[in-house]
Amino acid sequence: MTEMNECDVILQEIQLYIDGEVTSERAAKLEEHLSTCTPCMHRAEFQVKLKEIVRSKCRLQAPDHLVVRIRRIIRSGG
Amino acid sequence: MRSESVSPDELESRFETEALPLLPGLYSAAYRLTRNAADAEDLVQETFLRAYRGFHQFEQGTNIKAWLYRILMNTFINEYRKKQRQPQTVSEDEVPDWYLYSKMAESGAEPSAETSVIESLPDEEVQEALSSLPEQFRMAVLLADVEGFSYKEIADIMGVPNGTVMSRLHRGRKALEKRLWDVVRSRGLVKDAPL
Repeated sequence: MTEMNECDVILQEIQLYIDGEVTSERAAKLEEHLSTCTPCMHRAEFQVKLKEIVRSKCRLQAPDHLVVRIRRIIRSGG
Repeated sequence: MRSESVSPDELESRFETEALPLLPGLYSAAYRLTRNAADAEDLVQETFLRAYRGFHQFEQGTNIKAWLYRILMNTFINEYRKKQRQPQTVSEDEVPDWYLYSKMAESGAEPSAETSVIESLPDEEVQEALSSLPEQFRMAVLLADVEGFSYKEIADIMGVPNGTVMSRLHRGRKALEKRLWDVVRSRGLVKDAPL
């Protein structure tokens, strides 16, 4: 298998790996490749960071009055 | 184990301990779905009310977070979606893989600076980019990337097969990358690649 083909195969699975959706055996294989392949590592790091940014920027605080209202509904037995 | 034998007080306190801490996440999700605060509040309240009334049927020890999100999604689909104006569908199928990464690289951003440009965007811009996705993509990305659910949990919450989750997530993320690139470019944070 040439270097290029191996990268293509790895990159197809990167998002699954980042999402924690590959087996531990497969994850070990991917990590082994990433540790020696800088271009693939860059891409993986980019996607990891992007996912973190989306998560941290799209979280909202629930308004206090909503929390109070829902607690009151529960306490009054729904 | 069903909890028929549990007293109402015990059920109430268990509901408060297990379900209430999930309220902020549910509110974020509701806001992303309805795209306005008033409907988001109503949707979360209705979700909690339904969950509370059905809590005696909830199997203790199973995934309460996924259960609550499923109620939220179903309530949204049945009660709110009718009212919503749907965002226009994007031609996300034309977005190639690694879209944002490639665009950033082509613009000449240093590898280390590629994500800091996106990180420097105001939260609202990123939220707006997510909100502008077609609903099914928006839900998939929200559940996976913001709420951290597994594919299997998302399949369960959305009531679709695993393969559908993966496809919506893939297309949704590409569409989001396209929106983010448009924002980054329109704010003049990157140069267009020379032709």
